[in-house]
Amino acid sequence: MQGEILFLCVTVFTAGFSIAFGVVFPALGQGRACAQALESIARQPEATGPISRTLFVGLAMLESLAIYVLVVSLILLFANPLFRYVFK
Amino acid sequence: MEELFNPQVFFYFLGLPVTKTVVSTWIVMAFLVILSWFITRRMNPVPTRLQNIVELFVEAIINLIEGMSPGNGRKFLPLVGSLALFIGTASIAHLVPGLKAPTSDFNTAFALALVVFFAVPFYGIAMRGVRGYFREYVSPSPILLPFHIISEITRTFSLALRLFGNILGEEIIIGIFFLLSPLFVPIPMMLFSVFTGVIQAYIFTILTVVYISAAVEVHEG
Repeated sequence: MQGEILFLCVTVFTAGFSIAFGVVFPALGQGRACAQALESIARQPEATGPISRTLFVGLAMLESLAIYVLVVSLILLFANPLFRYVFK
Repeated sequence: MEELFNPQVFFYFLGLPVTKTVVSTWIVMAFLVILSWFITRRMNPVPTRLQNIVELFVEAIINLIEGMSPGNGRKFLPLVGSLALFIGTASIAHLVPGLKAPTSDFNTAFALALVVFFAVPFYGIAMRGVRGYFREYVSPSPILLPFHIISEITRTFSLALRLFGNILGEEIIIGIFFLLSPLFVPIPMMLFSVFTGVIQAYIFTILTVVYISAAVEVHEG
């Protein structure tokens, strides 16, 4: 029983920890991208259309990194393939 | 919460399980088809209110495509417009009681990404010829061939995972709010999920346009 509980603890901890750490860096990147885009729009308001379109594509790319982390931690919590071996 | 992760089988059709996702997809499809039929039943040169909204949408999609690949707006409109309309509707379908957003199932999201995966070489070969399209894979040097192929595959996965993760994440958050307090509290989150769903549809559409217009673009040299 001891081993199973340790397994559960490590799984839950890893899922929470990976969300916490995996979201920090995409968030920093998105913040930088937004700040730069705002600055460019403020400097050149007539280029709002192309800038915001490129910004959306870039944000989507950064967003997908955070989404990978979310998917991994969801798999760890709800569809962990290793559960079968630990809980016979 | 369990129903978010385990497929709920409604009934069996010829031995194939028909899940809640499939039924929700049918309802979304029926809604879109009936709405389109109703609006285009009597088209007027002077548009009525509903026709005006749809014309606005079609024009926005054409402008989006024209901005990236000039002259091809009408050509890509059927694919891009249907993707945008379907994903936009499907992503907010979970606001209807009893329905599940079809795009929060990985199978739906991956199927939509596969459509894009096959549409890119289709339009590329149709507009530049087989040689012209596949030359892109070995340019500027054949060493890059594996990287081009890997990028085709990974971007399909990232399209699917992005849509799936965002919509499922939103559904989970609404589910947790419902567990905490079912009355009124989830409403702001549900409103926010409309925003997320439409943004995700926009991003999927714009990335599709980017990929296709990169494939049909003719490079010199």
